[in-house]
Amino acid sequence: MSYGLSVFKDDGSLGFSTADVTWQTVAQFTVAANATVSNTYSEAAGMTIIIQRQLVNVPPSAQEDYIPNVTVSNNSQTITVAPQSGLSSSQCIIHVLAQDA
Amino acid sequence: MAYGFEAKNNSGKVIINDTIENLHFIGKATHASQYTGYTNFPTYSGGNDTLDGNTICYYTITCSGTPVPFIKPTDYSRWTALIKQSVNGTTWTFHVMCSGASTSNMPQIYCFVNADDIAIPSGETHGMIVFKADGSTKTFDSRRQPLAITGGANVLPPVDPTNSSGLPGITNNAAWQASSLDHDFRSGNQYTAYNDSNINTSTTMYACPSTAQAVYSRVVNGYKASSYFFRKIQEHWSTARWWVMYRGAYRLRAGHFDAGWNVYQAGYQYNENYESGGWFSNGSGGYSQGHSPYDDATINRQANAYIIADSSRYD
Repeated sequence: MSYGLSVFKDDGSLGFSTADVTWQTVAQFTVAANATVSNTYSEAAGMTIIIQRQLVNVPPSAQEDYIPNVTVSNNSQTITVAPQSGLSSSQCIIHVLAQDA
Repeated sequence: MAYGFEAKNNSGKVIINDTIENLHFIGKATHASQYTGYTNFPTYSGGNDTLDGNTICYYTITCSGTPVPFIKPTDYSRWTALIKQSVNGTTWTFHVMCSGASTSNMPQIYCFVNADDIAIPSGETHGMIVFKADGSTKTFDSRRQPLAITGGANVLPPVDPTNSSGLPGITNNAAWQASSLDHDFRSGNQYTAYNDSNINTSTTMYACPSTAQAVYSRVVNGYKASSYFFRKIQEHWSTARWWVMYRGAYRLRAGHFDAGWNVYQAGYQYNENYESGGWFSNGSGGYSQGHSPYDDATINRQANAYIIADSSRYD
């Protein structure tokens, strides 16, 4: 590593190095069932965005549980979460990750 | 950033500063219990009876904040999926599905939360903390191991979860009492492979919730008309129905991330009936094993992101 930051464990082995990191967490938030949420993160401007969705507290088998749609706009700065068209959505954890383009 | 701390990787990309949130390792979730099921269709025996099987494992961890659970396979040949995540107070429960019926070699779950939510034991007084501009919200704390995400991308399983070509469907006017399944409902061959040179099958762990789910069924309607007393017609009907519910599942191979499916539930129903007259009296017969949760469909099949990391850094 020519520059950056390393964190070592108690035994002296490497625990973390900025040289290894490819994606970073921009934000993590929970959206209530059927809610529409729009958040803006100026630090993500121009970055490549990927998003994880995880339903919370819903049974995986007994019914149709729909994840909300997510869209990225405004030069990657705005994340909008909304129910799928014509469908109710379940409570969902949103994990936004970014990679400096 | 007007002032503060900023760290970049070898490509000059910002990894730590006062706005980017870093996840930190808080521990492995406790493996609480498990059950196995669905290596074949319940109550049915005949062609294509075999399914891939599954083992559902339950894990718990208590923490502030919302944990991001990483699945570290012990047996990398098995498909795995985080099919449910729930919380009660500060105790989180994860339901992880593995393909196959073996209860050996269950995966481990490594959990990470935001820097601001990690608990620091007393006595941990040395290290480096990076705060947001508000001066109180942490984005990085070297007293707990930060997560280094070494790869990631959006992934999507194929539409059809079944090994047989095409989706199963309905056949009408089959022979009465027809009840032999002609569709392979296993799913091991149905996946989309994504190249990722950072994946190995010894230390790589991944986080990718299972959101896609699907229900498909094969229905065979049988019919027979027989005459009696040389003039009247007696009609017979039968229906055989096999159904499977799938959840999106993932597999790590060296250099590849596979997005596919695994059986979650399955059932078989059969019934028959016939008109009165002839050698028979009016009547019916049959049996049923469960009902599919909804009509045939694939839902929530949208791009979801996977991320990977090196588990050995946190052992």
